[in-house]
Amino acid sequence: MRYPLLHATGIATTLAYAAFVVWVYATQPRTLKDVTQGARVASGAYAIDAARYDTALSLFHRGLFRAAREEWERADPARADARTQFYIAYAFYREGWGRLYHDDALYGQGLQAADRALALTRTGSLIVDDPDLKMHTAAELKAELEKGREKSWSDLNPMRVLEERK
Amino acid sequence: MTEDRTRRRVLARVLLLPIIFLTVALLGGMRVAVDRSFVFLPPPLVTLVMAALLASLFMRGRLVRLEAWLGSRHGVLANVSHALTLLALFFASAQAFNSVLPEQGLLHWMFAFFFLWTLWNDQFSPFDPFRLLRSLGVLFGTAFVLKHMILAGLAAPGGSWTQRIATAIFQGLSLGTLDVPAVAPATGYISFFTLALYVIGLSLVAPAPDEPGDLRPLLREARLLTPGERRTLLKELEDEP
Repeated sequence: MRYPLLHATGIATTLAYAAFVVWVYATQPRTLKDVTQGARVASGAYAIDAARYDTALSLFHRGLFRAAREEWERADPARADARTQFYIAYAFYREGWGRLYHDDALYGQGLQAADRALALTRTGSLIVDDPDLKMHTAAELKAELEKGREKSWSDLNPMRVLEERK
Repeated sequence: MTEDRTRRRVLARVLLLPIIFLTVALLGGMRVAVDRSFVFLPPPLVTLVMAALLASLFMRGRLVRLEAWLGSRHGVLANVSHALTLLALFFASAQAFNSVLPEQGLLHWMFAFFFLWTLWNDQFSPFDPFRLLRSLGVLFGTAFVLKHMILAGLAAPGGSWTQRIATAIFQGLSLGTLDVPAVAPATGYISFFTLALYVIGLSLVAPAPDEPGDLRPLLREARLLTPGERRTLLKELEDEP
């Protein structure tokens, strides 16, 4: 056979480009920015904005959950960092938590973020070692959010007001 | 010199053609919504059927000679490379149809029927590569004008009184099934570029991968000869020492 190197290059290029086309149709990016961001995530070159992440963390610890979430969203626009998504879910939990009732809408959004954090933790489990938190894994957080959204007779128990926010 | 030309031809076949066809496959399903966000529509099942009919036409029209592209006379790498190119051609065809097919509603099925009917009839017509390319150009060109110029004009938001009246009449005639989603004008430009790229890609496909480039114009000319003239030409060639 003549030109084996040319054929091998052609095959490699075609397969790589075909994979890109399939990826585009599978992920449905809405803007060119989404395309580049997705490509960076897929190639492992994606990194969150550390400065924004730290700002968000300090806002979270001061109880400014909505502002913290917005900063985290900016720090991780591709929603590809498990730890950030965990904190976003936690911010939804803390903001939605109430002594008398929980905000179902915020808990719902928290669940989505917790699911993203779980999906992004491919190996092992994510353990967030933050002394301010009482739940350190996405699985615990998810279970708490699900429990908060369930309707049961125990919701009417007056002792519930003594429950602590985690 | 000849070695260089051969290398360039191989390079075009194994690298340029798949890139062209995969670009068509990428852009064929791309639409730009009114808010300028991208939407990527995978090929509907009917476009795969159309692409299969078109592939059959390519083989009948000798635009692609399958036995020359794939076979034991090529090495493994060349066979894999050729197979990928043909696969890219298949998906490019499906996406070229996707590009000019209305996305939904009655018009989607009317266009699909029009395409299928034409492709089915073409299966029984005598074709040569040049005529096939010309016919495809007309087919895609007509569909492009209908979808991206006439229908897109009717579905565009706002517009003049005459346009609104025409839209209302068209809605009435189609029993309210005119269901063309409004898209940004960029969609038409992308579709035009996609179809142009597809036709360019087709014109670069050689019936047989190893066929010398200089031979194609001669063969095209030869196909225009009458049976008598062909016999005389063959006799002349055989008699030549």
